[in-house]
Amino acid sequence: MGVIGKRVAYYPGCSLEGAARAYDVSTRIVARELGLELDYLEDYNCCGAMESKNITFMGTLLLNARNMSLARKQGHDVIVAPCNGCSFSLQRAEYFLQTDSKIFERVNALLKEGGVDPLDKIPETYHILEWFYHEAGPQKVKEKTKRPLRGLKVANYYGCLYTRPHFYARTYSHAGGQSEEARPRRRETADDDEHPYYMNALLEAAGATSVEFEPMHTQCCGGPHSLSDEQVSEKFVMMILQTAKRNGADIIATECPLCHASLEMYRHRLMMKGVPDVDVPAAYFTQLLGLAFGYSANDVKLKDNLSDPLPVLKRLGLA
Amino acid sequence: MAIHERSLVEPERIVRKERLVIDGVDVSGDWNLIILPRVINDYDLDFAKEIINSPDGKTITLCYQCSYCTASCPVHNYWDERYNPRHFIYLARLGLIDELQKRADVMWRCVSCHKCTHRCPKGVLVEEVLKVILRTMAKKGLIDEYPSKKFDKFFTESVLEYGRIEDGELLFGWIEKQGYNVVKDPILKKPIPFLGETPEWLKQLVMKPIKSMNISFLVLNAKHMLFHPRTKSWNKFKQVLRKVMQEEGALT
Ligand code: SF4
Ligand code: SF4
Repeated sequence: MGVIGKRVAYYPGCSLEGAARAYDVSTRIVARELGLELDYLEDYNCCGAMESKNITFMGTLLLNARNMSLARKQGHDVIVAPCNGCSFSLQRAEYFLQTDSKIFERVNALLKEGGVDPLDKIPETYHILEWFYHEAGPQKVKEKTKRPLRGLKVANYYGCLYTRPHFYARTYSHAGGQSEEARPRRRETADDDEHPYYMNALLEAAGATSVEFEPMHTQCCGGPHSLSDEQVSEKFVMMILQTAKRNGADIIATECPLCHASLEMYRHRLMMKGVPDVDVPAAYFTQLLGLAFGYSANDVKLKDNLSDPLPVLKRLGLA
Repeated sequence: MAIHERSLVEPERIVRKERLVIDGVDVSGDWNLIILPRVINDYDLDFAKEIINSPDGKTITLCYQCSYCTASCPVHNYWDERYNPRHFIYLARLGLIDELQKRADVMWRCVSCHKCTHRCPKGVLVEEVLKVILRTMAKKGLIDEYPSKKFDKFFTESVLEYGRIEDGELLFGWIEKQGYNVVKDPILKKPIPFLGETPEWLKQLVMKPIKSMNISFLVLNAKHMLFHPRTKSWNKFKQVLRKVMQEEGALT
């Protein structure tokens, strides 16, 4: 505990200021309750998500380097992002900037040209879940819980990029069997790469029960293709929802706005088509923690969730 | 005998003989399944060079064809077994362009989940390499505009313009690109979500906040659609971005 820091630069990313407002609002609530401080990154830009990197290599690095520079300007060594896509993009930039000095120099020169301070140091990026786990942890969550999520069976969905790839996320890789020394970029705060458990641990500390959800917990939702290759996304979401449902989940907990949107969108489509066992609603894990900390459904913006988890939560007396 | 990765062999080259005698020895039974040989002589060795020279593609040289990437890949496992990252890497390194082209209809389907990269024991940045292969093919006119590329461009243009993206505009702008008749307001020329054509399932989904009287959510998103959120000090930086993209040949 205490590795990352209690006060960090907060990079919300574009969707948290719009369609995923509920995630932003509930994240702030949870951070405040856990005694952690988010310093909003002023005037940030889009990280390029999974899309821009397919079009332009240098351009995407620049987008992320600009945000890093803003964080440095605000006096931070650490950026946390609540989105898998954002934290992936920042970590990817971190990787290329760290491992290739030529790229680093070029990026700095271009930043300067664009009127942005060059990077004196490359800040580290963490997913917000990792930060909550390491700077507060299950114990603190337990202390703060006023209304335990008793009886709520949760499928904890981490999505693909939270622990992957190990080059960027600096998790341990089970493949390859390289020695410790061969993996200098591994970090001690990283979640388990194949069996992540931080979200399970936090929600269980708040009184919820996790259901069996492997291997779908890290299976891709088809998010990057959710608008351009609907067949693949629909199939992937179907597999995720059905696995959750058939293992008895009341709700799917998410930690990424893109996964969340993809699950909700395709859940609706699948239900319209009459596909069986896909009616599990989704909620951000921060919304669930917020409820456990005694906040109302309105406070954590449960009405924003298009998959409508309210009835389930009401039935269990949790909202 | 079993043929692994059967999808890689043209069906007409797989022959099963009733009875097979080679050099006077009867080898029927287990050995009667044959893959007819073929001759390849149109290698394009410059193709791989271009991939190796890009910073996100250079790890292609490390690949030793173990196929761990393919075994992990959800698109290969759950969608189409013709989608085979190991094989694409093999073909790209040999420069077997026409074989790559034959698979152009599945090559773009990668969902960028990075399981392949994560699992590769050799440290190949597999997902990145595959995207560089696609990029290189597109640059040489070897592959048609495919849906995810169109979307990637559309997305990136929005980032370039404003510094930030906006979900609603992205969604409805994309729907318009798909050929639906989207209604726009006369002054700002922005799409109006509840009018015009939209796929039925999406229409229902967009109606949900109205039905649940979630007015603040609607107001917030309507405001963002009308006045696209933008990064303030963006203009100078935008020019640098444009310049870099021009150099890479990424702007068309
Ligand atoms: S896992 Fe790595 S080394 Fe093995 S085939 Fe795939 S890219 Fe090559
Ligand atoms: S990133 Fe693409 S190629 Fe790699 S495992 Fe995922 S879908 Fe397959």
